[in-house]
Amino acid sequence: MLEISNLNAGYGEVTVLRNFSCRIETGQVTALMGRNGMGKTTLMKSIMGLIPVKSGTIHLNGIQINGKETYKISRAGIGYVPQGREVFEQFTVAENLRLAALGSSLSNLDRLPQIHDWFPILKERHDQKAGTFSGGQQQVLAIARALMTGPEILLLDEPTEGIQPNIVHEISLQLARIARETGLTILVVEQNVDMVRTMADHILFMENGQLADQCSAEELRSDETLIHRYLSI
Amino acid sequence: MGNNLVTVAIFAALAALPLFAGDYWTGQFTYYLIYGLFALSLSLVWGYGGILCLGQAIFFGTGGYLMAIVTKGMIFPDLTNSYLGLLVAITGPALLALALGWFLFAGRGIGGAYLAIVTLAIAVVLERLMSNWYALGGYNGLLDIPPLDIGLFGYSYELWDALPTYYVILAIVVTLFLALNILTRSSFGLVLTALRNHPDRLAFFGFSVLQIKLVVFAASAALAGLSGALFVTVDGFVSPTLIGFSLSTEVLIWVAIGGKEMLLAAFLGALLTRFSEGWLSELFGDFWTLILGLAFMASVVLLPRGLIATPLQALTRRRRPTPPPS
Repeated sequence: MLEISNLNAGYGEVTVLRNFSCRIETGQVTALMGRNGMGKTTLMKSIMGLIPVKSGTIHLNGIQINGKETYKISRAGIGYVPQGREVFEQFTVAENLRLAALGSSLSNLDRLPQIHDWFPILKERHDQKAGTFSGGQQQVLAIARALMTGPEILLLDEPTEGIQPNIVHEISLQLARIARETGLTILVVEQNVDMVRTMADHILFMENGQLADQCSAEELRSDETLIHRYLSI
Repeated sequence: MGNNLVTVAIFAALAALPLFAGDYWTGQFTYYLIYGLFALSLSLVWGYGGILCLGQAIFFGTGGYLMAIVTKGMIFPDLTNSYLGLLVAITGPALLALALGWFLFAGRGIGGAYLAIVTLAIAVVLERLMSNWYALGGYNGLLDIPPLDIGLFGYSYELWDALPTYYVILAIVVTLFLALNILTRSSFGLVLTALRNHPDRLAFFGFSVLQIKLVVFAASAALAGLSGALFVTVDGFVSPTLIGFSLSTEVLIWVAIGGKEMLLAAFLGALLTRFSEGWLSELFGDFWTLILGLAFMASVVLLPRGLIATPLQALTRRRRPTPPPS
């Protein structure tokens, strides 16, 4: 379980997250929604130790992770798919996945058949340079790379950004399947309502650096007011 | 495979060199081989690891001084074994690199031009320090450093003659060249390439960027230290110029002209620049440095992969119709 309490974080003098608190339950897919500039990516970066936390705490399974270096947070069991995917363009698919195993644990190379089963395109194109991939394919690779490290919880920052809708749907279905089959906990920052409806069990709404509201997937399906209020659509 | 053929051809030519070159050129090429090894150390840290160290002579000079101190028996008069000297000359610079690297890379660390300036400044400071360290010869350096003694088990075989010296150095250089090739093609090479291109992304899957940087910096320093140690046994002389500014920039030029991202090209960059220096300075006098400068600029502007690496890569590609998977 990922537990965030009274988190204040931001860039330099500017505080973006203001006393943000939430709990990400184990085995659930939680979606974090909100308009641009509300602090969603800042939250992800704070969890990953990429920006310093001013006050408050982040605990993973009862162990405090804020203040630790990014690689230690990754080793503690958090897989991160950053905004913009950030795969190694000059490396092949196979090299990208191998690198992830090298960083976490060589025994993670055993996960490769499973990864190929989930994302067959990565097997078909294992010798192709990641830079030649489309946005959607790179996104699949970025997710697979994070899964190679064998995380307990997967953080996805706007995975659908710049990706065509049918691929978005496919990725959502596959992630939902992986979560269901393996019990993987997922926290996804997303503005794409289709993706959230397809995969999320629980939805958090963020406004001005604070947790504004939350609801379950059923509530979201039956009532669209929250989406209208927090996403202005 | 094309690349391997070129490598074999070049080292075969180097092995055959004493057959048709006299003692003078054999002696000169002994130096060039050592400079080539020194260039390999910079290629590893800069070309592969992306860490631009503008003070690589820090480690070359430290290796040279440590070798001199040990083999001249300046601390322990009874312990002047060459192997011990080499061991000290390899580990000393590596430890120095670890200590320096800790200050340079820990926390947010520094990189790019700032790192280059700081390492260059350290080289200048050390050169001044050695010039004024009278116990170590000060400005005049240390003379009469014994040649390598490659004897084992109580036997002694000192390398006084040009020919055996050349072959021993060549054997060391070939071994290390092959080892570096294996290293850079291994998983570690993959990590280094990732470090050079996107260091920030490595932490996402558990890599400690600091640790990788320290390892490659120390490995490169160890290699530079070894080349410095070999150099002083061949030259018999160590002085502050081996640790300072000019050698640091020279090695940078060899590696840039050759091609920093290709071990063979960096190695040849050192050999060919030093070799051309000989006859160009005879032909053009002091103007030869102008030619070197022009070659450097041409390399940076027109062929940023290197004057030697670019044709070598073209050659390799033509020999291999299908592009390599990596």
